[in-house]
Amino acid sequence: MFKKLIKESTGKSPWLFHINAGSCNGCDIELVSVLTPRYDAERLGFQLTGSPRHADIVVVTGPVTAQSLDRVLRTISQVPEPRCIVTMGSCPQSGNVFRGSYAIAGPLSKYVHVDVDVAGCTPKPEAVIDGLVLATKILEEKRGQMK
Amino acid sequence: MDFPFLKEAVNGLFSKSSCDMYPVKPAEAAPRYRGRIVYHPDKCINCMMCERVCSGNAITHTIEKTEEGDRVTRTFYLGSCTFCATCADFCNHGAIEFTGDYHMVATKEEDLMVTGTFIKKPPVKKAAPPKPAAPAAPKAEEKPEVKAEEKPAEAAPAIQPRDDGKPVQDASKCVYCTICARKCPAGALTVDRAAKTWTLDEDLCVGCGTCAEACPKKCIII
Repeated sequence: MFKKLIKESTGKSPWLFHINAGSCNGCDIELVSVLTPRYDAERLGFQLTGSPRHADIVVVTGPVTAQSLDRVLRTISQVPEPRCIVTMGSCPQSGNVFRGSYAIAGPLSKYVHVDVDVAGCTPKPEAVIDGLVLATKILEEKRGQMK
Repeated sequence: MDFPFLKEAVNGLFSKSSCDMYPVKPAEAAPRYRGRIVYHPDKCINCMMCERVCSGNAITHTIEKTEEGDRVTRTFYLGSCTFCATCADFCNHGAIEFTGDYHMVATKEEDLMVTGTFIKKPPVKKAAPPKPAAPAAPKAEEKPEVKAEEKPAEAAPAIQPRDDGKPVQDASKCVYCTICARKCPAGALTVDRAAKTWTLDEDLCVGCGTCAEACPKKCIII
C-alpha cells in the first residue's frame, strides 16, 4: 500500500536540488525566479531543498569546471534513485563560450546521464518550467520501472 | 483581541492568484526575444561569416560534392548557442532568423539541432569577365586624390554592378586600405597597398557583400 502511495505521489511533489558548477549566475537567478510567486513552480509541487539526499531532480547550471567536477559528481551520487538530472542553459550541455578552455571539464553528459536539456542562455523561466515538468514525467517513468 | 493582518489574510483567501499560471495559460515571449533559430537555406550563400563570428562555436557545416554543385548542410546547435544574434547581424542575406519560440527543452541532443541544406552551384565562367580593376590609367590620378580626399572624383568611371552578384571596385575612389580584403570571409580579395592593386579571385568569392559593407569609401558595388 505504501509503495503504491509513493508511486502515485512521486510526480506530485518532486524536490529540486540546484548545483552551480561554475555558472555565471544568470541561470541561477532564473531558476530562483521560477520558484518565486510570479512563475510559482511551487504550485506544481516543486520545492527547492538544501540537501541532495532529499532531492528527486538535480538542476545543474554552469560549464562543469575542473574545480567543481569532483564536487558535482559527489553531490549527484548522493541523490537517491530514481533521480532526474536537468541541465539548465547552454553551458552544461556543451561548454558554450567557455568550450575548449583549460578550466572546463564539461560537458556534463561525459560523466553522468543527463535526462533533460533546457537550452537558452539563459532559458526563459517558462522554458525552465517546461523542462521541470518533462523531468517530472521522466521521474514517474523511472519510479514505475522500480520494484 | 487584535489580530494583525486578519483582513489581508481573509481577502487573500478569495482574491485572484497573482502568479502567471504558466503551463495552464500559454505565455508569449517579449517582442524581439531571441529564441529558437530558423535557418533559411534558400537565402544562404555559404560565406561562412556566421561561423566566423559565433562565440560558442555553435554553427558547423558539411560540404558534399554532387553533380549539380556543392551540397552544403549547415547545423546550428542550440545547446551551444549564446543567442547573441551576432550571426544574424553579420548575415548579409538574412538567412538566419531568431524567433520568439523559447520552448527549447529536449531529452536528446538532436532535438536542439537546427539544420538546413542547399545546393551551391559552381561559379559560372564567362568568356570575358569585366575586370573591374583599372590597371594603369587611373593610377596617376589616384595619388593626388588620396591626399585631397574631399575632392570629388570628376572622371570617376560609372561602374556597373555585375550580374553575378560579385563585387566591383571603383578605382577612382579606392584608397587601398585593405579593409575589404581583411573582412572577406572567403579570402577572395587581394589588395596591395604599395602597388595599388585590387584583385578579386572569382572562384573563391561567394558574393556575400561583406566587402561592400566594410568599405569606408563605399567604392565597392555588389
